[in-house]
Amino acid sequence: MAKKTASPSLAAEFRKAAASNSGRVHVVPSKSGWSVKREGNLKASAVRKTKASAITAAKSIQSADRIIVHKKDGTIQKNTAKR
Amino acid sequence: MTPRPSHSAISETYQRGEEAVIRLVESLYNSLALPEAKNVFINCPFDNEYFPLLKSLLFTLIYLDLCPKISETSDSGEIRLKKIQGLMAISKYSIHDLSRMEPTKRKEYPRFNMPFECGIDFGLKMSDEVQYGEKKFLILEKEPHRYQKVISDISGNDIYHHNNEPEKIVKALRDWFRRMEHTKTDYKEIWLAYNEFSADYERILAEKGYNPHDIHALTFSDIISNMEEWIPEYKSKSR
Repeated sequence: MAKKTASPSLAAEFRKAAASNSGRVHVVPSKSGWSVKREGNLKASAVRKTKASAITAAKSIQSADRIIVHKKDGTIQKNTAKR
Repeated sequence: MTPRPSHSAISETYQRGEEAVIRLVESLYNSLALPEAKNVFINCPFDNEYFPLLKSLLFTLIYLDLCPKISETSDSGEIRLKKIQGLMAISKYSIHDLSRMEPTKRKEYPRFNMPFECGIDFGLKMSDEVQYGEKKFLILEKEPHRYQKVISDISGNDIYHHNNEPEKIVKALRDWFRRMEHTKTDYKEIWLAYNEFSADYERILAEKGYNPHDIHALTFSDIISNMEEWIPEYKSKSR
C-alpha cells in the first residue's frame, strides 16, 4: 500500500497541540520510578515508586482534567477523565 | 534507407540517457558534498516493532536541534544505495542500530542491511580523511558486548545498548551528543517531552484516519516535519 502523504493541516494540528495547555497530566514510567508531569512543565512535579501512587499524585493536581498513563514505549496505556 | 526506429526503441534510448544524467548529477553532488555539523544519518530497521524506538530516536535528535537524515524505503536497490551514500556524505554524525543482527522471532531471518550500510559508512570515512575524517559514529546494540561475538571489527567505537527501550535510546543519544559537546539538556526532560508528543501523535493520527502504530502510515519526512512543528511550540510553552 502506498504511504499517505500528510497534508499541511496535519502539521498545523501538531503545532496547535503542542501550544495548548490542555490540563492533561502524564504519568510516565522511567528508570527512576513513575513521573507525574503536568503539561506546560519541563520537569516532573513528582516521582513515585509505583504507578498507583503516581496516578493518585496526578489526580491531586488541581488543574488536571485528564490523566494519561503511558507504557514503557511512550504510547498511551490509559487516557481517562479525572474523577 | 535506414529503417525508422520503433517507439519502444526510442523510449529505451531516452530512458538510458535519463538514467546516465541522474548518475552524473548524483556523483557530482556526492563529490561536492561536505558533512554538515547538524546532519545525522540514521541506519536502523524499518518495521512496526522498531517504530517506537525510531520515533524516540528522531524526536531526541530534533529536540537537540539536529537534522535527522533517513532514507525512504520506496526506491529500488541501486538508486536507494546511491541515496544512502549521499545522505552519509552530507552527515557529520551517523547512528547505526545493529540490534537486529539476530532474528527477533523463530523462523525469522537475521537482518544484514544495517551492518552492510554501517560498513559503507566506515568505508566512506576511510576513503578520504580530509573530507570525511571528522565523521562520528554511534553504534546502537540491544545488549552490551553482544557485538564482540558477531561484529568485533567495530570494537573501539562508541557502542551503546538500548535493550529495545525508547527511554534508553533517548539517554544513549543525549549522553553521546553531550560528549560531542552538543547539549547539556537533561535526558529526563527529553523523555518526558517525548511521552507528551507520543500522546498527541496517537490522538492526531487516529482522528485523521491513520494508524499511529504503523511505521508506514506516514512518510519519514512527514514524521520529522510534524516533530519539527511540535517541539519549538512545546519548548516555548513549557517552563
